[in-house]
Order: sequence, then C-alpha cells, then structure tokens
Amino acid sequence: MIRFGLRLAVASGREALTRLLTIAVAVALGVGLLLATVAAVNAVSVQYGRFGWMNPRPAGASATNPATDPAWWLHRGDYFGGQTIERIDVAAIGPGSPVPPGIPRLPGPGEFYASPALQALLASTPAPQLAHRFAGHEVGTIGPAALPSPDSLVVIVGRTPDELARVPDARRVTDLATTGSAIPVAALDLVLSVVAGGLLFPVLIFIGTATRLTAARREQRFAAMRLIGATPRQISVIAAVESTVAAGAGTALGFGLFLLLRPGLATIPFTGLRFHPSDLSLHPLLVVLIVLGVPAGAAVASRTALRRVHLTPLGVVRAVTPRPPRAYRLLPLLLGVGELAYFIGRRPETSNGQVAAFLPGFLLMMVGLIAAGPWLTMVGARLLARHSHRPDTLIAARRLADNPRTAFRAISGVVLALFVTSVAIGVITTIVANRGSQGSAARATTLSKQFTTEPTAGYEAVVAEVRSTPGVRSVTIVRRNPAAGAAGSLPGVAVCADLARAFEYGRCTDGVAVAQVWSDLIGFRASPGPTRLWPAAPLSLDEVQRLPVQSIVVGTDGSTPAIERARTVLELAYPDYRIAPATEDDFNSAFRSQLAGFQQLANVLIVASLPIAGCSLALSVAGGLSERKRPFSLLRLSGVPLRVLRRVVALESAVPLLAVSVVAIGAGLVAAQLFLRAQMDYTFRPPGLAYYAIVGAGLLASLGVIAATLPLLERITGPETARNG
Amino acid sequence: MSSNGRGTVEARDLVLSFGATPALRGASLAAAAGEIVAVMGPSGSGKSTLLHCLAGILVPTSGEVWFDGRRVDTMPEARRSGLRRDHFGFVFQFGQLVPELTAEENVALPLLLAGVRRPAALTRVRGWFSRLGLDGLEQRRSGELSGGQAQRVALARALVTKPQVVFADEPTGSLDSLAGEQVMDLLVAAAREQGTTVILVTHEPRVAAYADREVIVRDGRSTVPATVATSS
Repeated sequence: MIRFGLRLAVASGREALTRLLTIAVAVALGVGLLLATVAAVNAVSVQYGRFGWMNPRPAGASATNPATDPAWWLHRGDYFGGQTIERIDVAAIGPGSPVPPGIPRLPGPGEFYASPALQALLASTPAPQLAHRFAGHEVGTIGPAALPSPDSLVVIVGRTPDELARVPDARRVTDLATTGSAIPVAALDLVLSVVAGGLLFPVLIFIGTATRLTAARREQRFAAMRLIGATPRQISVIAAVESTVAAGAGTALGFGLFLLLRPGLATIPFTGLRFHPSDLSLHPLLVVLIVLGVPAGAAVASRTALRRVHLTPLGVVRAVTPRPPRAYRLLPLLLGVGELAYFIGRRPETSNGQVAAFLPGFLLMMVGLIAAGPWLTMVGARLLARHSHRPDTLIAARRLADNPRTAFRAISGVVLALFVTSVAIGVITTIVANRGSQGSAARATTLSKQFTTEPTAGYEAVVAEVRSTPGVRSVTIVRRNPAAGAAGSLPGVAVCADLARAFEYGRCTDGVAVAQVWSDLIGFRASPGPTRLWPAAPLSLDEVQRLPVQSIVVGTDGSTPAIERARTVLELAYPDYRIAPATEDDFNSAFRSQLAGFQQLANVLIVASLPIAGCSLALSVAGGLSERKRPFSLLRLSGVPLRVLRRVVALESAVPLLAVSVVAIGAGLVAAQLFLRAQMDYTFRPPGLAYYAIVGAGLLASLGVIAATLPLLERITGPETARNG
Repeated sequence: MSSNGRGTVEARDLVLSFGATPALRGASLAAAAGEIVAVMGPSGSGKSTLLHCLAGILVPTSGEVWFDGRRVDTMPEARRSGLRRDHFGFVFQFGQLVPELTAEENVALPLLLAGVRRPAALTRVRGWFSRLGLDGLEQRRSGELSGGQAQRVALARALVTKPQVVFADEPTGSLDSLAGEQVMDLLVAAAREQGTTVILVTHEPRVAAYADREVIVRDGRSTVPATVATSS
C-alpha cells in the first residue's frame, strides 16, 4: 500500500505532480524560514555568549582552575564616534595565566591586540584621536572566537602587574569562561522566547496550512477509492504517504533555502551588531528533529484532517459544526494584563527580578491573544450576523461564527506580529521621546570626565592641553557641592568666570562668583541653554578651590576630531579611569544601538511574518472557496451577482483580520504602556507615522493577498461546476 | 418580437458546443405563461444545457432565446443575472443551500438580495414553512435536514419572490420516490397557484407526468416540436 501511495503521489499524472510540488514548495518556504528563525535565535545567544570572556569571575570565586597562574584583568568601555570599544587591560602574573580566546598569548606591557574592525579604525584615524590611548604597539589581530560580531571594536592591552594592582577596579582572574552571557541568562531566554514565539508561530501555521493544501480535491479522490473497495486504513496510509513524500521533499528544499539565506541574514544587525555567518548554526539534534519531525508532522496532520471528515464510498461528509470556543479563553490575556499592571509601583530591584516580572506578562499576553482570538472572532461574527441585513455579510458572519478557529488560524501569525511590533515600537518611541528630546545638541557635543576619587595628577596642565585642542570651546572644572543632597541643591559647584565661557549650558546671576551646577553641566531630564540660571552657591573662590574635583566638562563643536582628541588627552592623563570620558550620547550609544536593534527586530518580525501569514491566509481562502464551490456556483446561476460572492469571501477574511488586528495592536500598546509605567515611570507616547505606515502596509498587503484569491472564485463557480458537481 | 405574455419563454434553433463536443444542435422549446413543461431525454442529450440557455445561464452560439418579449441571449451578463434574480427561480438536484445559513435564511436569501430588510424578509418566508410541511425546521442548517426537507427548502427559496418562471433541473433526482412525489406535488401546486411557468428537466416519466406537456431532447435536438399559443 505504501508503494501504491508513492506511485499515486509521484507518477499519477500532471495534477498529482503539481499538487506534490505545490505542497513541497510551501513546506520548503516554511522550513527555510523555520531554520532561519531558529538559527537567528541561536546566533543572538552565541553573540551574547561571546561577551562572556570579557567579564570573568575574580580568582577565588571559582574553584574550577585553582592550579592556574592568575592574571590581572580590567574591562572597561571606551568610545569612539558614538561606538563602544571593549577595552581589556591585562597583565600576566605567571606563565600559566589564562589567555582569552582569539589570541595566542597575553600581550606584554606596551603591546596590544585589536579586533579587525578596530584595526581598520586605527588605520583610518589620526593617532592623537585614538591610537595614543593604547600605549605601545599592535602585536596581532583578535580572532573571531572572541568577537561578538565582525564589527566589534575590541582591544586587549598589555600592562605590568604593578600598574593594574594599583587600579581599584582591576581583578585577579584565573578562569576565562569562553561561553556565557553578559546579560542574565533568564532574561536572554525570555527575550528570545518572545521573539521566537512571534516568528515561529506564523511559520508553523504556514507549514500546517501547506500540508492541508488541496485537501478537498484529495478527499474526493479518496471517496472514489472507497467506492471501489479501499478500506479506511488503506486510505489513511495512502494519505500519509502522499503528505510525507511532499513534506520530505519540502524539508530538503527548505534546508537548501536556509543555506542560501544564511549569508544575507548574518548582515541584518537586529541586535545592533552584525553576526558571524557561522554563528547562524543549527544544533544537530534540531536538524534531526526537523528532518524527521516535519514529514512525520505532515503525516499526522493528514491523518487528523481525514478524521475530521467522513469518507464514504458516495462522497465526503463534513463533520458537524465544531463546538464553539468558550469565554474562558480570555483568561490568559487578562492574566497577562493583570500581571503587568500589578508591577506598577512594585518594580523589582534587580534586573533578573524585572525580567522575571515583565517578560512572563508579555508571553502570557501572546499566548492569550492566540487563545482568545477564536472566541473574539466568534463573538464579533455573531454580533455581525445578528445585525446584518445584507446576504453577503450574513453568510460571511455565519461561516466565521461556525468555525472561528479556522478563520482565526489563518490570521494568527499577523496578529502575533502586530502585537510584538506594537509593544516594541510603543516602548521605543516613548523611551526615545523621554531621553532624546531635550538639549540633544549639548548631549552629543559635551564631553564629561567624572572622577570617583580625587584625581592625583595636577589637572591644571590637563585642562590647558584640552583647551588648546582645536574644536574645544570651553573646559569647566566642577567640584563637589558640600550642600549636595539638601533640597533644591545641585551636586556640583563651579566658578562663574569658567561658566561664562560655557554659556551654552546656563549662566550665573550678575554679581555671583560661585554657582551650583550639574556635574556634567547638562543635568538629568533638564534643558541646558543660555537662558538657564545657575543657582548661587554660598562659597568664596578660595573655598571652592579646596573642594574635591568632581568632573571636568569639555564643551566642543561636536566634531569627531575635537571630541576624540579631547577624550584621548583625558584618558592619557587619567589612564586608570573607571568610566571613560564620554558624552551623554556615548553613554547611550549601546542603549541606542540596542533600541535600533529592537526596532530592526520588530521590523524583521513584521516583514517576515506578514508574507508568511499572508500566504496562509491565501491558502485558507482558496480552501474555503474550494469547499463551497457548488453552492456558490448555484447561487451564481440563480442570479446572485458575482460581486456579492466576492464580498462574502473578502468579508470572511478581512473582518477577522481587521478586527483581531485592532485587538492585537491595542493589546500591544496597552502592554507597552503598563511596562513603561511600571519599569521606567514614563508616560506612554503614541508611535509615529512610520509605525502606522508599517502596520498599514502589512494589512494592505494581507488584503491584497485576499483580493488576489478572488479571481479564483469566478473560475471555480462557473456553470460547469453546477453541472459536474 | 416574440411572445408578450407574463412568464412565456421560448428557445429557437439553439446551437451550442462545449469545445469540440456539440451539446445543442438546433433545439427549440416554448412554454406559455403558467404552463408546466417537462424536458425529457437520456443522459448527455442536452436537456440541462437547453434549460441553462433558456435561463440565460449559457449563451448559445446561434439561435434565439426570448422571455416575455425580450431577447435574452443578446443581453449582457449583468442583465441576464438580474433577470434570473428578479424573474426566475431555480431548483437543482442537490447542494443548492448555503450551508452556513439556517433554513429560513436560505429561503429569505433572494429577498435579502432584492434589498428587503431582514425582519421583513423572515416574516415573509415563514408562511412557506407551514405550507411546505417544514414547520419547526426554520433554524436548522442544510446539514441537519434530510434530502427531501432540503429540497423543499430549496423549492421555497425558488418560489418566495413569486418568480414568473421556475427552472427545475432534476429536482427529485437525489430523493426517494415518496420524497420526490412530495416535492413535485408542492412545486406544481405552488406554480399553479401563482401562475408560474415551470420548465422541468427530468429523465423520470413519473415526474414528467406532473407536466402539462413533454418535450423530448435527443442528441441536442428537441424531437417534439414546441408550440405556444402566444408565439408570434
């Protein structure tokens, strides 16, 4: 029977072959996208893991390698042109000191290794702007094993043990974990779960829909076989063989498609950084699972589909109307909303705690949307049916109300994509609005060197050197305000004579000698500008000179040479800095790039899932048409205009699509609002035009897919259908 | 110009082929207003094709189709659809009910298509249920009706707009003899009462016996010449 099934699948004429190829191509698309999604999720994990060796545990905290010589280790963030440079200062204490991945040995004092991207930057940048920071000479290239991305700027600088022993933040390490994560593993897992859920769901729906392609035609064929004596079990075997052959061919094609897509996928920086193509890898177990699972799943799906209909020798009898979904399906969605709302005013202190608090809420809402979708579709359809006076609306509404699960399944991918996109864009828009709108120019042009301890070197010479740098407009010394912490006081004080040169941040009242200022002259959520009045500080000039220096603030023209030259001077003067001299935009660069990454991810999600969901929708519409071609063709013969039938088909797809999309977008924006209130105390800002454009384009594309199936209606409901049944 | 009575239909020398296969080779038929005409013939003889041409569903390659003095075969598709919707009713062998709708909504469908508000349409169709012995079945879906019941619902749908002509293509073909007789009794009674012309395609002499007159179609030709009182 298996051999007979194989022969039927591949060698029983053009129609059978076309059916086989159609399913195989659809499964190939689905498997290709599934593999790309899983590999991308894996690549994100590998990328984050490559930050792990930069932050080893201090010696003593780990007993894994007690016999190894320790090394001094200092990891800091430096900046150039708005990009973060990972800088690791190391000093070997013995011959067995641990060596980071990607380099053959630890650099000695006066030597450094640089990543390829940093090498390129060093070669194209004048030394006083960058290379002088890494005293010594380059001895080699850091290999990909140590680099999160081909674009990563990483430098490993050799120092003497004595030098690093004096730096408070340097640590002795014996074990460099080559795998691990710079962010909490739970957080990573949960973030990736949300993303993977958003991407995988439409793909799985698509594969499922593809394997049910041409089901109606197949069922008719099987009914004919029953007529000539085939047993239900034999039919089951034939159906399983047909589906398995098609899905097997599709799976093989899908792997080919993935390999074709992989180099291009690696260049999409959806974490803010490009990937190494080799990081887009698949676990062998997963490969086995997909190779076996997709065809096996197709066989099971085909068997299940056959169980839903009763194949008799005289034809196909559809199962009775399925049981309607119940209202309890709303519970997960409501629980998700409740969970996020609960944490307003109760934000956990730790990052792990925050992740554990918020991400399950998002996941619950995603699950909730999928669970509630059929119920919402049914309720909406029943309302529509009750109040409709037009036959097209009535037929569409009744069909939706009869089987809301099928109707919703076709659009569930779009719904999840819209939810995740709405959350991401809602959060990003609000954060950008809250962080980036005020004094943005000063935040990009003002370099601030903060001191955690009193600088040992004489800062006057440093200030003079910085002042002489082309493009530097002002240099202001800010000292600790003895009254800091009192109500209404600012953390620093500065001499008004210096502030007169830094007029773009604010000015002193006439006659005042010393004023209270922010340590970076900008302030948190403040608006720097020439009209801002600094409050007076009741201190004499002599008293000010005796106060510890809190920061040196450098106002520049915003040009990269001015900022980077001044930064290099400050870093060389204070080489053991804990926090590199930086503009506020530098501090935010990693965050900005992460935001850009999330934005990218949201775009990838919507761009990838909408066409997939659109294809599922098209298959579903075509399937629905095929099922009803006889009553539709008879209605046409009776004079029902084609436009009425077109409206029926369009309404059956468009109504749930638009209605549940509104719910998904609303749920996404509500989730964003709850998260912003609870985590950041921000007021939600509505997304900009770009968001509406993307969503509108996605929905229009989906409606276009529906419209594209309408010519099929005219073709399959002609008079010959009524004649031939 | 052909006939002028309300409900008269006439086909003259119709020729139509499906690809290389000729279906009609000069078939003619005429029915006077209120007349019940049975079109008989073996399978593949062209009787259903003749009915489809008379109803304006198919357009013959040559020949003429007239309805109440209007030339049907030269009308554009939209006008032919309008004619079918507003003046004709149809009963087919099976599968004609919209499965998503209840029985009463199926019957009301032509009224809804004509723009009648739903409550008014449902009120108008209720009388048909008791008349056709379908009381209590108003809320059933097509899958919950027996073949005979479904066919009676289809009959009610064909007659609810008081059409001038009902075209019935093997209306009892999927029914047992008792259910078939019930359907034919109801169809003939309602047609007589409303003065509706009925063109009935069947291959069963017992069904054809309900008609006033029989026309035999064989190999695409009507072998009994049509006669109609109002024909020009």
